[in-house]
Amino acid sequence: MGRARDIRLAYLLLAPALILLVTALAYPIGWEIWTSLTDLSPLNEGPTAFVGLENYRRLAADPAFWRAATITVVFAAVTCAVKLALGLGLALLLARPFRGRALVFMAIFLPWAYPASVSVIGWYWTLSPPIPTAYSVFMGNMKYAVDSALGGGAWAFLSVTLFNIWRGSSFVGVFLLAGINAIPPELFECAALESKSAWRRFWLVTVPLLKPFLALAVFLALTTAFADLANVWMLTAGRIVYPVIGTHAYWLAIHGGQFGPASALSLALAPFLIAVLFLLFRMFDPPEREPA
Amino acid sequence: MAQVMMKDLNKKYDEVHAVKDVNLHIRDKEFIVLVGPSGCGKSTTLRMVAGLEEITAGEITIGDRVVNDLPPKDRDIAMVFQNYALYPHMTVYDNMAFGLKMRKFPKPEIAKRVGDAAEILGIQELLKRKPRQLSGGQRQRVAVGRAIVRHPQVFLFDEPLSNLDAKLRVQMRVELKRLHERLETTAIYVTHDQVEAMTLGDRVVVMKDGWIQQVGEPLELYGKPANRFVAGFIGSPSMNFVDVTVADASGALWVETAGLRVKVPPALSGRLGAYKSQHVTLGIRPEDLRVASGSDSADYSFDTVVEVVEPLGSEILLDLKAGPNVIVARVEPTVRVKHGDKMRLALHPERVRFFDNKTELAI
Repeated sequence: MGRARDIRLAYLLLAPALILLVTALAYPIGWEIWTSLTDLSPLNEGPTAFVGLENYRRLAADPAFWRAATITVVFAAVTCAVKLALGLGLALLLARPFRGRALVFMAIFLPWAYPASVSVIGWYWTLSPPIPTAYSVFMGNMKYAVDSALGGGAWAFLSVTLFNIWRGSSFVGVFLLAGINAIPPELFECAALESKSAWRRFWLVTVPLLKPFLALAVFLALTTAFADLANVWMLTAGRIVYPVIGTHAYWLAIHGGQFGPASALSLALAPFLIAVLFLLFRMFDPPEREPA
Repeated sequence: MAQVMMKDLNKKYDEVHAVKDVNLHIRDKEFIVLVGPSGCGKSTTLRMVAGLEEITAGEITIGDRVVNDLPPKDRDIAMVFQNYALYPHMTVYDNMAFGLKMRKFPKPEIAKRVGDAAEILGIQELLKRKPRQLSGGQRQRVAVGRAIVRHPQVFLFDEPLSNLDAKLRVQMRVELKRLHERLETTAIYVTHDQVEAMTLGDRVVVMKDGWIQQVGEPLELYGKPANRFVAGFIGSPSMNFVDVTVADASGALWVETAGLRVKVPPALSGRLGAYKSQHVTLGIRPEDLRVASGSDSADYSFDTVVEVVEPLGSEILLDLKAGPNVIVARVEPTVRVKHGDKMRLALHPERVRFFDNKTELAI
């Protein structure tokens, strides 16, 4: 009797969390997976048909998909690596006391702290200033040079990449700084007693101690790069020459009305991403054997 | 093994003058303890020896080298930190071997040294574990082991036992002492615990507000404190201090205040003569008071009322009042008293101390 009531109470107490999880996560994901297996589209006359893996099969045969997938992976990997390097550098710089540190901290954190739309406009004007000056002429020439060397749209894509790095390094830097501050200073001091080489101390002590934070930073950097749709769209105003999975899927679904293929497209890289995240999770919380 | 010299050592931060004109000669093989309340500059002094803090002014010599401008790594010291500072991502073995690896010792030599240290400390079984799988006492041993394997000229200990529970602290204290007797390496040990200081130190340095108050062997600090601060800091429970007036009566010096009047012991009357009809501070240790018996001279005893009784088993601590003055006395466990009882206390005349009220120096 009592036990049955306890169990009911337990479910009752769990209910808010479960409802939130189901409505906010499980339902949309489930719906998307289901949609990717159908020909759902507002343009279809008849009833929505279940088409199995047809959408995925077509994707695999579509060179446009492979192009978008490659761009996405390269975009994510490159931005992630650069953000990590820059962010770690900034964090190490800010970890030591110096005059004006608060100001530098503010300057570094600003790109992230501002709303994306404002940052985007700031960035846009950095690259194509609204007022004609020697600088704007120079930037115009840069765009021309890059686009004629690498093809139209290259400058725009470079801009998107740099924007992602600019804003992401800011976040990664502040995030890793918090990580460094969470490590007892004695661990660094102890290393200073044993080695003069800052480089060796960095690799043997700082990096291993920061590993959980680095893993989490990679995780966040990767997911934001993979899901980066809004910034690409805002910076290019939809004139996208180098589509990533996100923009390609958006185009397909919202402009083309093809919900089924678009869902399949947006899910296509999920297994890859999940595998990477799984590895990262093991890094930031490695299972450890308890003492015998 | 080496001596350590500190000459006119000073440390200033932006606002704080943390260490002031410290002069100290630590002899080879000596175990010296820096003790004082928090903020007294003891840790800063130690960290300057280690090279973790820059020296504002003055000079530190280890062996025969001035180390002011040497990086920590080249000072040939090993330090044990309060929170152990073990690397969570390394095994016990790797933690202990860390310094040697950084110095590129050959592997067999590292293995031998770690093995020897582990044996001395009784942690051979733990070498493959990670720090998080160890108890506090075990971690402390590993931290000590990491220092031992380096065979440094000087050991630096920064409150190494403060994170341990009381029982373990006493046990580790004994082990550290045994270890020092075995290794005979010069050691500088920082603590805020006067019991640790007294039991471990060959000599003890008492610090306050950045100044050295007194340097001496433990019993010297206890028996002949240089000033009121040292007198109150060393010994537990603390020395009783009573503000008294020096008076001349019937050819002898007396000190008196409301509820208390005792004769100045002959040995001190010469020096106290200069303070006639002035205020001085009388210091009596709780253990130098006893329940007065008929044979005790009236010159060295006074009446009190019992306020609080604290039986500790081996002894009883009494909080008493002599007039308005609060006095703590440590008496035999057989004494039977309760709150409100009247009691006459006698003191050891030769153990009474007097302090100048202005300079706080011992008279």
